[in-house]
Amino acid sequence: MNGARELDPRSAIRALHRRRPRSRLVRWTVAGLALLAAWAWSPRVEVLGVRFGSGEIATGELFSARRRANLERFLTEEAMPAPLREAGFSWRGLFDWAGAILADHGWSAMLATLWISILAVVLAAAVATLLAPLASRTLATRDPYQLCGDNCRHGPGWRALTTLTRLLLVALRAVPEYVWAFLLLAMLGPSAWPVVLALAIHNAGILGRLGADTIENLDAAPLRALRMLGASRRQLTGVAILPLALPRLLLYFFYRFETCVREATVLGMLGVVSLGYWIQDARARHRYDEMLLLVALGACIVIASDILSTLARASARRGS
Amino acid sequence: MVGVGTSRQRRPFPLGRRGRTILAIVAAGLVAWFALGLSPAQLVPTGGAGIARDFFAAAWRPALDYEGAGVPDGARPFLLKVLDATVRTIVFATAAMSLALPIGLVLGFLASSVGWSGDPATRASRLSRTLARSVQGATRTLIIGMRSVHELLWAVLFLVAFGLNTASAVLAIAIPYTGTLAKVFSEMLDEAPRDSAAGLRATGAAPVQVFLHGILPRALPDMTAYAFYRYECAIRSSAILGFFGYPTLGYYLRASFENLHYREVWTYLYALLILALVLESWSTRLRQRFVA
Repeated sequence: MNGARELDPRSAIRALHRRRPRSRLVRWTVAGLALLAAWAWSPRVEVLGVRFGSGEIATGELFSARRRANLERFLTEEAMPAPLREAGFSWRGLFDWAGAILADHGWSAMLATLWISILAVVLAAAVATLLAPLASRTLATRDPYQLCGDNCRHGPGWRALTTLTRLLLVALRAVPEYVWAFLLLAMLGPSAWPVVLALAIHNAGILGRLGADTIENLDAAPLRALRMLGASRRQLTGVAILPLALPRLLLYFFYRFETCVREATVLGMLGVVSLGYWIQDARARHRYDEMLLLVALGACIVIASDILSTLARASARRGS
Repeated sequence: MVGVGTSRQRRPFPLGRRGRTILAIVAAGLVAWFALGLSPAQLVPTGGAGIARDFFAAAWRPALDYEGAGVPDGARPFLLKVLDATVRTIVFATAAMSLALPIGLVLGFLASSVGWSGDPATRASRLSRTLARSVQGATRTLIIGMRSVHELLWAVLFLVAFGLNTASAVLAIAIPYTGTLAKVFSEMLDEAPRDSAAGLRATGAAPVQVFLHGILPRALPDMTAYAFYRYECAIRSSAILGFFGYPTLGYYLRASFENLHYREVWTYLYALLILALVLESWSTRLRQRFVA
């Protein structure tokens, strides 16, 4: 390296550019996913007996004459509120129509959706709070917070415990809520339980994992100090770990509450009285005007829970 | 400000802010319990517990071939069918993400504050500021509209509007995902550290340069990690769309369950589980590479 080249800003920048951190994994991921996307969109073509393109997505068919006629009928006739189709548009007629639907089942379905998501997320948080300490590798070891230094062993039993708990959490969250609800509904019969449990199971998996990560990332110094004073694992958890982790856990809790409201709306479609049930019901009766109104109601409670969760998270962040 | 003594007297019961929050959450759960009229008795499986027992017994021996008679001759091997459904699940999710990601990026930029505030040194005219604010507001409203309707509801709407068409399934996933990506991207852009942007601005870089070289690179690792996480979610959504008649994992899972072929159901569940496990470990590795 000579001095003149060091001073030349362009080559210096180029040298810096060459030395930038690069990751093969990231590059392959991006390239692979781009290829996969191209394959997914492209039509199925056979060249010399080799198949190219997935041909799964019928983009052209979406704009066929039949589809367009379908869409036109939906937008101009079916989506129009029933009393306004003949009488012409009036605000009064619109409000009367919407008010009747709300009074009949709209409000109660919205409330049911809200209660289902609250109960589900509280249950999920309870289970997650029990499992998270068991899954955190800093706490559930033979020697938490390493009084004996870096060279002591984990203890195979403890290692198995954290691994098994983490595996359980993965299995809980890997199966989507909708599938859990579908299976539970077949087993438990129609009540709110299948939906509540489905949401609780899936979210327990997510909250447990996030909670375990939070505990592992806590500042170790105060905990090690307590350990030196002779605190047991349970004392450590109750007195220091949970209080220290609480603001962050609350952040996750409210974030998951928001998603629970979204999902609870939809899970009703399986046959439990939340908004989704009435959406499916309106669809089955070909009352698409009513269906659109109910979808809009669903959007409203999602937005409301979004605002609620944002406010609660802001307050939790202040507490941290 | 209140002194220590008075504050002690003011406390009506021995609970701090933390305690009150937890108490409120537990109370909300109890209220929800009673409002829904739930009782533990409803948790006993109906149908003589038979379904539940058979179903969970089948977990240990997932089907490797078609269960039951009545399989037409020349049908594809069962495992190949599972693989096909898995691939199709991935295809729909990938196609949806390939729409959601670029549009979400643009909308996220338009909805962010940092994309518009530009250079505080150049005094923007009132007109251009109003224009910027109205575009930002319109984009934010659009984003809220897109993401507040669940992907399955979009799917149902499209089913009604178009009929069953695979491209509409892709759209149903893409719309809410675009909204969510745009919202999170705009927040990440706004929360990215501004130090390098300030440095660039001080050396006289144009607003576009400041954004491209000062702000975007600081937010990009988080944005990439989040986009991949959404890809994971898109695959789950795509699997569930099968319950509405699209040929993904959910479709076959439902059909097998309704035919009481529980061992087949478990095969599909395990396929879903493996898919989720692979994606999660992949995503964890990517995130470690990025967010050190």
